[in-house]
Amino acid sequence: MSKVKTGDYMAEAVPGFDHRTAIEEAARCLLCHDAPCSQGCPAGTDPGKFIRSIRFRNPKGAAETIRENNVCGGSCAYVCPYDRLCEEACSRCGIDRPIEIGKLQRYAVEQEKAYRMKVLKAPRGPKRGNVCCVGAGPASLACAAELAKAGYKVTVYEREKKAGGVLSYGITPARLPQKVVDQDIKSVSGLGVEFVFGTQIGKKLTVQDLLDKNGYDAVFLGVGLWKSGTVGVPGEDLKNVLRAVDFLKKARESGGYRQVAGKKVIVIGGGDVAMDCATTARLNGADVQIWYRRTIAEAPADIDEIHYALSLGIGITTNFAPKRFDGKDGKVEFAEFTGRDGKSAAKAACDFVILAIGQQAEDLAALADGADKSAKGCLAVRKGGKTSLPGVFAAGDIVNGGKTVVEAVADGKTAAAAMIAYLEKKADRAKSVKPVKTAKKGVK
Amino acid sequence: MAVKKDLSIDFLGKHCENPFFLSSSPVGGNYDMVAKCYEAGWAGVFFKTVGIFVADECSPRFDMTNKDGVPWLGFKNMEQISDKPTEQNFEYMFRLKRDFPEKILVATIMGASDEEWTKLAKMCDQVGADLIEGNFSCPQMTSHAMGSDVGSDPKLVERYSRAVTKATKIPFIAKMTPNITSVEPSARAAAKGGSKGVSAINTLKSITNIDLENLTGMPVVAGKSSISGYSGAAIRPVALRFVVDLLKDQELMGKGVEISGVGGIETWRDALEFLLLGARNVQVTTAIMQYGYRIVEDMISGLSHWMDERGYDHVEDFLGLALGNMIPAEDLDRSFQILPAFDKKTCVGCGRCYVSCYDGAHQAIDWDEKKRRPVLIEDSCVGCHLCLNVCPVKDCITPGEVRWKRRPKKTPPVMQRQYD
Repeated sequence: MSKVKTGDYMAEAVPGFDHRTAIEEAARCLLCHDAPCSQGCPAGTDPGKFIRSIRFRNPKGAAETIRENNVCGGSCAYVCPYDRLCEEACSRCGIDRPIEIGKLQRYAVEQEKAYRMKVLKAPRGPKRGNVCCVGAGPASLACAAELAKAGYKVTVYEREKKAGGVLSYGITPARLPQKVVDQDIKSVSGLGVEFVFGTQIGKKLTVQDLLDKNGYDAVFLGVGLWKSGTVGVPGEDLKNVLRAVDFLKKARESGGYRQVAGKKVIVIGGGDVAMDCATTARLNGADVQIWYRRTIAEAPADIDEIHYALSLGIGITTNFAPKRFDGKDGKVEFAEFTGRDGKSAAKAACDFVILAIGQQAEDLAALADGADKSAKGCLAVRKGGKTSLPGVFAAGDIVNGGKTVVEAVADGKTAAAAMIAYLEKKADRAKSVKPVKTAKKGVK
Repeated sequence: MAVKKDLSIDFLGKHCENPFFLSSSPVGGNYDMVAKCYEAGWAGVFFKTVGIFVADECSPRFDMTNKDGVPWLGFKNMEQISDKPTEQNFEYMFRLKRDFPEKILVATIMGASDEEWTKLAKMCDQVGADLIEGNFSCPQMTSHAMGSDVGSDPKLVERYSRAVTKATKIPFIAKMTPNITSVEPSARAAAKGGSKGVSAINTLKSITNIDLENLTGMPVVAGKSSISGYSGAAIRPVALRFVVDLLKDQELMGKGVEISGVGGIETWRDALEFLLLGARNVQVTTAIMQYGYRIVEDMISGLSHWMDERGYDHVEDFLGLALGNMIPAEDLDRSFQILPAFDKKTCVGCGRCYVSCYDGAHQAIDWDEKKRRPVLIEDSCVGCHLCLNVCPVKDCITPGEVRWKRRPKKTPPVMQRQYD
């Protein structure tokens, strides 16, 4: 009999390092010249440097290296797909196994909290300009922090009650504890960034209003993808056929989703979100089965997340796509599947179905009327995240169609750099206009 | 923004941007190396020892000790002083001082006679070296007129120190050998000869390993080997001891002799230990040979953070604060025993404390075989803390109850709380 792990929905799945075990792990690091791990991070985090700091007894320096580069460094330490980024690049793979870079990053960020460090500081003096970010997910947080560090006054508009976006509403707390997300958010609010919660842009207030009426010099859109994709098969509207984002959000808001306890739950999908739905349901006491239309090799989910799901005793059936959902009294009772080979068929009894088959953009016309869209139905941007609307920038899932947290951070930073360039150019133009006017007056 | 404190400190009247130096060794043996180390952030360099004698080196020339898979606990080298022509070395030093005037260039020299020491001192003058260090301590010279054979003879130390200090006004530092019962006689002799500073320590005479195939020491040089200098983390405790001996010496301190600490320094904490005892700076080689000049980044950052945490603005503010707490064994308070406290929750049940206490201490731990947990036999425990040192789990065994041998005192004794 294989030993299956149990756990609590709110408890951290993997324990972290203490001072001693962190140094032991850091001592395994080969301290490479031109460290390959440091080239493996999309957000430009420098693991070679922060691991060296841990190794040489400077955990505070390690925390600085991480936080200065990535305001979501705490969350990334938990949810980054290390196995295909820095850890895959690790030279130690040629000897035995890579350094546990993610866990060392987590240790370093924990030191920041333990020592009550305030790594990021906004420059003193008058603000250079007034900008705002829409949405408070990883891309917006990264963008807001860069702008605040550069001396701009930044306001973040968020329709939910809490910042963090997908970090706070989309991931199992066992995989990403809220306290870690909160620490990341604190590093941004500590820069003087103001958060306005419960305000959705695109309803009463439009992006154009923000520029024209509210006096923002530029606007960043990092709203993410919050509309669940549908399969387009009969029975999707039955009761207890849930959308992944709604399910995860509700579970996080309520500290669990006990309705699924003791019930049969079918999760449909093969991405990280599907794994999060499955583990969330399992940790809330459900009997969970994942059904995926392709193979494990083709699944977009991180292999660690698949391992984690399996370790909890969750089964995965591959090469089966949903055909229809059936039920009694409007409530789902069966899911029928068709095999990828066109010959196989399956029918499974269930109490809940969770559809985790990708997310889509919500109403883009309401958010940013007239902005160009990409083929995927996301916002189309040029280099630096410039949308087709002047002064409006965008990055993160709403542009790339849903990638990793670390890529959202990287793109948020890039957009911030482009915004700063845009704002500086705008300020220069404003300055150069004035002397011309006075010259004219002089002529008169 | 990274915390960065003012780490500057004067050494023999020279303003140093921080207390981190390269010691006289292969890590600072030519222009390009020293230029790179300066750029990495080191305050200065004790340039690889220059003599009239030009070394002819053997191959291979290094070996190391390791334990439980950890390499470089200690490092052995058989190199002597520079193998480059004397003029070439001074030309490097001239260009370094010209191109990096704010960095501290210490010319380390070694002569075999009064004439040679005088000649070398004058050459230091010509290239504008900030300070001169006399190498009285290399333990593997091929001539007995040089190196640690000189350093263990106070008369020669005084004589050669005088040869240098008469020839130049540049402050002179004597580098001491630890291959001696006590270092003070040689250091006093150097001061008598006019030296203003002391570097301690050079390497320990050693045999690191015996090659079981060739039946000789390591490194194996044509089937043979020699006793030579041992350095690295393993010798830091010895270096700290000699530094304390020097800093406690009334005669040396009365003359205002300044101490530079050397031996096994790898991290800011190692460096800080020397500073807390009263050394005004530290010198590093072995860790650079193993890891590169870049280790200074975490020395600067780590020391800055420690100062920030403790509220110190200048290195001078904490220099020597630990020295007074180093006292003779006969003066230690022996009126109590601190019993170990066992955290049964974090205990993983390995039983190492039981084994060590039985076989290496006082049979004061009983072993609960069912629960796999240690049980302290208080009557047998003497508070030696062997169990605490052998426990693999952090903060599982910690200092616990204080048991007074005689009448209890009002305040508990100061005890260590942080264990790595």
